[in-house]
Amino acid sequence: MRLGPFVAAALALGAALPAAAQIRLPAGPGVEQVYARCRTCHDLQYVVDGKGLLPDQWRAVLASMKDYSLTLPEDERERILHYLTTYLGPHPPPAAPADGSETHAADGRAVYQASCAACHGAQGRGQPGFYPPLAGNPDLWKDGRLPILVVLHGLAGPIEVAGARYDSAMPPFGHLSDEQIAAVIGYVRSAWGGAPAGRAPEPITPEAVARQRGRAMTAAEVHAYRAQAQ
Amino acid sequence: MTATIDRRTFIKLAGLAGAAGVMPIRGALPLAYGADGADAAQIIAGKNPTMIVHNAKLGVMETPLAVLREHRVTPPEVLYNRLHFPVDGSGKWMATLAPAEPQVAQAWSILVSGLVQRPKTVRVADLERMERVKVTSVMQCAGNGRSYYWEKAKTPGSGWKHGGMGNLTWEGVPVLPLLASLDLSPDASVRFLTANGKDVPPVPGGADMIKSYPLAAPQLKDAILALRMNGRPIPTVHGGPVRLVIPGYYGNMSVKWLTDLMMMPEETPSALMQKTYRMPLGPVEPGKFTTQNLTQQNSDPTYGFRIMSVVFAPLEGETVRAGGVELKGVAWNDGLVPLAEVRVSLDRGNSWLLTELDASDGPYAWHHWRKRVELPPGRQEVWVRAVDAWGRAQPLDGLTTWNPGGWSWHGVDRVPFQVA
Repeated sequence: MRLGPFVAAALALGAALPAAAQIRLPAGPGVEQVYARCRTCHDLQYVVDGKGLLPDQWRAVLASMKDYSLTLPEDERERILHYLTTYLGPHPPPAAPADGSETHAADGRAVYQASCAACHGAQGRGQPGFYPPLAGNPDLWKDGRLPILVVLHGLAGPIEVAGARYDSAMPPFGHLSDEQIAAVIGYVRSAWGGAPAGRAPEPITPEAVARQRGRAMTAAEVHAYRAQAQ
Repeated sequence: MTATIDRRTFIKLAGLAGAAGVMPIRGALPLAYGADGADAAQIIAGKNPTMIVHNAKLGVMETPLAVLREHRVTPPEVLYNRLHFPVDGSGKWMATLAPAEPQVAQAWSILVSGLVQRPKTVRVADLERMERVKVTSVMQCAGNGRSYYWEKAKTPGSGWKHGGMGNLTWEGVPVLPLLASLDLSPDASVRFLTANGKDVPPVPGGADMIKSYPLAAPQLKDAILALRMNGRPIPTVHGGPVRLVIPGYYGNMSVKWLTDLMMMPEETPSALMQKTYRMPLGPVEPGKFTTQNLTQQNSDPTYGFRIMSVVFAPLEGETVRAGGVELKGVAWNDGLVPLAEVRVSLDRGNSWLLTELDASDGPYAWHHWRKRVELPPGRQEVWVRAVDAWGRAQPLDGLTTWNPGGWSWHGVDRVPFQVA
């Protein structure tokens, strides 16, 4: 097939997936774990498509995910299962107006454990070959905006961190509130050290997050932004 | 069945198919929709934006029937797609209709091994020099039609309507004669052929997309290592430069980007073979049987197509003019025996009219059925049902084959429309 200019342009941009970015789940306890765990292999459309499954079917779905290497601590597994069977079961409660962002107020550590630790590890060490470390990751201090953009819009494209190459796609976490995002970046910056010497980093505020939230960026565009960020 | 063609004839055929491939899509099309706005062309470069997106991250999409029915051979731009690993991150290479670069394709190699004395490597460049055959066959997702099961009870998986299929022309090297020619000396215990492709799970230790087939299965005789789809190098997203194509089998069995063939005494233990893409052998009920209850003993892999027929005209919700109305569509089975007849009913199954059947594209291809009827104004509903020479027929009530994975829907298609 001859590629027209449109197709060639699309290829150059890479697979931009703004759609997956915006799937929102009903609010409820455990929704953060679903956002954190279920988007590594597929987008949330599969979860939404499962709306109405009987409890034993949701249990079977979650059990089958073990085959795809989803290993969950018992308490987290039960939390996810409770969420799925309650909010995406045959008789869901009426939808709450908020999107669940408020459940963790602005405790950066709690947000990290619920939303980030699944891939980046409880101690921010990442997983060699798959997910980059956050501990000591210089991106955290780049131009003040980069960490916000990565959390809000995701990051897709090959990157190098501490001499190692990674090529997984981080999904967007725009479902978190401005306060939660500011808090989690603050936590990640302070928890394991690595701040550049001689330059006090500008703190990330909820207002700074709010300013970036309006930008309709794809994860691939954040990757391009990262390439030029100082 | 399949026909052997020489290289010169092939080049001529390729030219013709190429011309057909750029046929414009006619008629008013429904607006595209995706998960939340991403259209098919953003997800897989070159796809038509009218495709219905089921999962952006996995490049899962189906063809609206109004588009599918316009083409006797389905152009790649509007062909359904299903991948098992993400197209973002390191899987981005999969997400394009562009074929592999010629030098990549030529150097591509397939390791033929397993329980054999002498494993061999076959390169695409070798295959290009071998005699090739051509087969037109239905490619269909085993989940096609899954959403119709949801009338009885929800199942996990994408909500496919009928558009998870296409009718394609493949060309390639027959697998069994190739294996025989390689002087592998397989062990006497070898019963299965196992195939693996280049795609890899996004998480370490995740199940890989590996499939096994009994070497004695009749469709294996017609299986090919395909190098061309619709006369052109196979689009990357559809498995190029080389795909194992097993005519008559559900799409998940035709492994894309083939890198390994293994001759084995047992099937692969991969969860994508042993735990999913499986149909229970008998009826099961929601609430009493889940996908976790499927075993090798109580279920079969989704190998051959269940016999099926679909209405292409009129489509659901369409209004046609009173008087002579042409009903038409397609039917197919697993290709083992011819279809005996396709009948339509306009009185909810009380009486059935024989349709005209065109099977000229071969046993594995869509069979085109048509029937002209006189219809007065009002609401109508057409049902269609295929039966083959072994008496295998579509169930009048497709919900009788409800199963926890939502596979192999093949119930009688029931399409309401208006006559004015």
